[in-house]
Amino acid sequence: MSSKTSHNKIIGLVLSTAPKYSETFFRNKISGLQDNGFKVILFVDYKSKHDNDFPCEIVVAPNFGGSKMKTFFNSFLSLLKCLVLYPKKSARFLSLEKKSGFTLRQRLKRLILNQFLFQKHVDWLHFGFGNLAISRENVAEAKGAKMAVSFRGSDFYLSPLKHKDCYQLLFQKEVKYHVLSNEMKQDVMAHNIAFDNIQVITPAINTSFFKAPQMPNTIGKTVKLITVARLHWKKGLIYTLEAMKVLRDREIDFHYTIIGSGEEYERIKFAINQLELNHRVTLLGELKQEDIKKQLKSSDIYIQYSIQEGFCNAALEAQAMGLMCVVSNAEGLSENVLNNKTGWVIPKRQPELLAGKIIEILGLPDAVKNEIRKTAIERVKNQFNLEKQNAAFKAFYSNYDIQ
Amino acid sequence: MKQKQKIAVYSGDIPSTTFIERLIRGLSQRDLQIMLFGFLKTSNPSYNNSVTLVAYKNTRFQKVLHLLKYTMLLVLFRFKDKRKLDSILKTSNQNTLREKVKYYPVLWHKPDVFHLQWAKGISDWIWVKEFGIKLILSLRSAHINYSPIADETLAETYTSLFPHVDGFHAVSKAIAKEAVRYGAPEDRIKVVYSGLDVNPSEDSNSTSNKIFNIVSIGRSHWVKGYSYAIDMCKILKEANVNFKYTIIGGDDSVELSYQINDLGLEAHVELLGQMPFKTVKSFIERSDLLLLSSVKEGVANVVLEAMALKTLVLATDSGGMAEVITPYENGYLSTIRDPESLASKVLEIIDLKQDKRNSILENAYEYIQDHHRQDTMINGMCALYDNTKIVS
Repeated sequence: MSSKTSHNKIIGLVLSTAPKYSETFFRNKISGLQDNGFKVILFVDYKSKHDNDFPCEIVVAPNFGGSKMKTFFNSFLSLLKCLVLYPKKSARFLSLEKKSGFTLRQRLKRLILNQFLFQKHVDWLHFGFGNLAISRENVAEAKGAKMAVSFRGSDFYLSPLKHKDCYQLLFQKEVKYHVLSNEMKQDVMAHNIAFDNIQVITPAINTSFFKAPQMPNTIGKTVKLITVARLHWKKGLIYTLEAMKVLRDREIDFHYTIIGSGEEYERIKFAINQLELNHRVTLLGELKQEDIKKQLKSSDIYIQYSIQEGFCNAALEAQAMGLMCVVSNAEGLSENVLNNKTGWVIPKRQPELLAGKIIEILGLPDAVKNEIRKTAIERVKNQFNLEKQNAAFKAFYSNYDIQ
Repeated sequence: MKQKQKIAVYSGDIPSTTFIERLIRGLSQRDLQIMLFGFLKTSNPSYNNSVTLVAYKNTRFQKVLHLLKYTMLLVLFRFKDKRKLDSILKTSNQNTLREKVKYYPVLWHKPDVFHLQWAKGISDWIWVKEFGIKLILSLRSAHINYSPIADETLAETYTSLFPHVDGFHAVSKAIAKEAVRYGAPEDRIKVVYSGLDVNPSEDSNSTSNKIFNIVSIGRSHWVKGYSYAIDMCKILKEANVNFKYTIIGGDDSVELSYQINDLGLEAHVELLGQMPFKTVKSFIERSDLLLLSSVKEGVANVVLEAMALKTLVLATDSGGMAEVITPYENGYLSTIRDPESLASKVLEIIDLKQDKRNSILENAYEYIQDHHRQDTMINGMCALYDNTKIVS
């Protein structure tokens, strides 16, 4: 399949819901593409309250839940649309699905479920997460569009653990992949995907919003540690709390703040209590960007001791704000923070090691600390800004032949 | 003829969990009338004649029928009681049909003792005291050990209602101590340890495994501390130990699957789904060690079962486990959240001399026979029902 380089290309972006105001990555990506002359159509599985003020056209999948009658009616309507409005594409889809080994019943079901994706013409159909492409592997080809898939971390590393071989069919298709780090690229290549079909585009942040203060913070009597993360096991917060216990046992005067909410609240709260860290750890819940910035501004060391991590925008934001960052070596993190240059990278799942590194950092001369901060600020500013990301996505859709 | 004491064992579901079913069946052998309220999960649960089912199937029609029956009975024969309960429900914002279908049958049958199995339900059932029913609450694991730590509203509910509960059944001394933090008066708590009726199979306990087999059993919940057990496996692998670790009930956990892959332990660690007790029993008997890696426990029944089945146990010193295990005498204890400690204990156990192993196994078996027989538990529970005084 060869690409045509023309303006006003239409990108169909497939997501679960329209991104919220705080989900800056997709919002930035969409506005960047629009600025570069692309038209973007968003295909989503579920309606949300943000749909009306969203700055591009949104196509929402029919709701197949609810009563049996409703399901039957929506299914019938979708099938009718396929047969009447796009019969050729539907026939092509059914034929491709047959080649992929699906039974007639499965083919029809998948056609009905994917009908909304046929509704608009697009040049590229880009699945925003790998797991959104499952059961839709033949849609782009049937539509006559190119197919792109972004792997963002847990979709690549965790989904196959729950649904074995879920990407088997996808990896046989002509797809251009977007990944967040070189390590992830290597891991995708292990599935026999050609080097040139995978493009690394790292996340980017708004560097004029997340900006370091003129004068770097000097660490006060109580060292302030902070993490911004969803309360999820993959963020390694339990290992981090165990490291905090080591710090407390070694009589380090510190306070640790976690910003974020999530399903593991009970586990984390219990660990704080059991490790007797109630006076040393604060859970602030989910905060707005402005408030996150305030918290970062008054902190000294940022910790991202994840077990699994695609790349991590929060670590970029912390570096841009001039915090010293200690991260684990989970997937993309060691490309996000360069060990001993822009922060410190240490092996995951070893709380003693994390605590030891924090103590070591506290003992470093100010000149060394400031040099690390300065290098991190410059690197994020130069390499992880939105302009660079927008240019990379423009190139992604423009100059590419799928091998 | 003296009328039998009516005991309601309430968990909401019929049949309930294994340990509650053991309690029901044990009590039903005594001179008591056991009443089970709630909804039927299976159509024909088999109990003896001492058990009265006041249950409904979980369909709208069955619920309406159930509610109508008991509304009619109360209106016709106990209208004052109905009016009193309705007024309580109104004040506590529980005046819905969904609540009434649960409450009216209990009000009509008025058991002598209402034994509530789950502490989180305390605000739903505190009203029974207004009708002279003795309220006894079981203090079990999650409901006491960690839910109120994360849920401040629940902690406040406990603190305001526990002082009004007539009696408490604690599954361990440790959990009794936790409940005291939420206002449960110490003198109203009786520790009644779990009882079981599990015996080793005749052909059990061949210790000739070439590979050292370790097994853990339980749902894949963070409280079980499996991530520490898997971190322990990494240490064992690095020490070139020839071992296999199986978690029964852990197959649905992405976290554990990821950790196994991440640490390259695919050849050493296996996650299996839940199984019937018969299969679990055979697994325990074929294993060299049962591992309990929990960060918190009441008293883990699976440890008691392993001891009864003459399989060595290594448990973390969590909750009430130290009340059961005397290290080096009838099992092993390790510190919580400590893979290094777990690994060093496993290495010690692997090197154990056969006569010492046999003596630990024998002590463990004796301990269960002395302290955790089903009839011991039932005696304890009957004493709790008899000796508990209604507090005003």
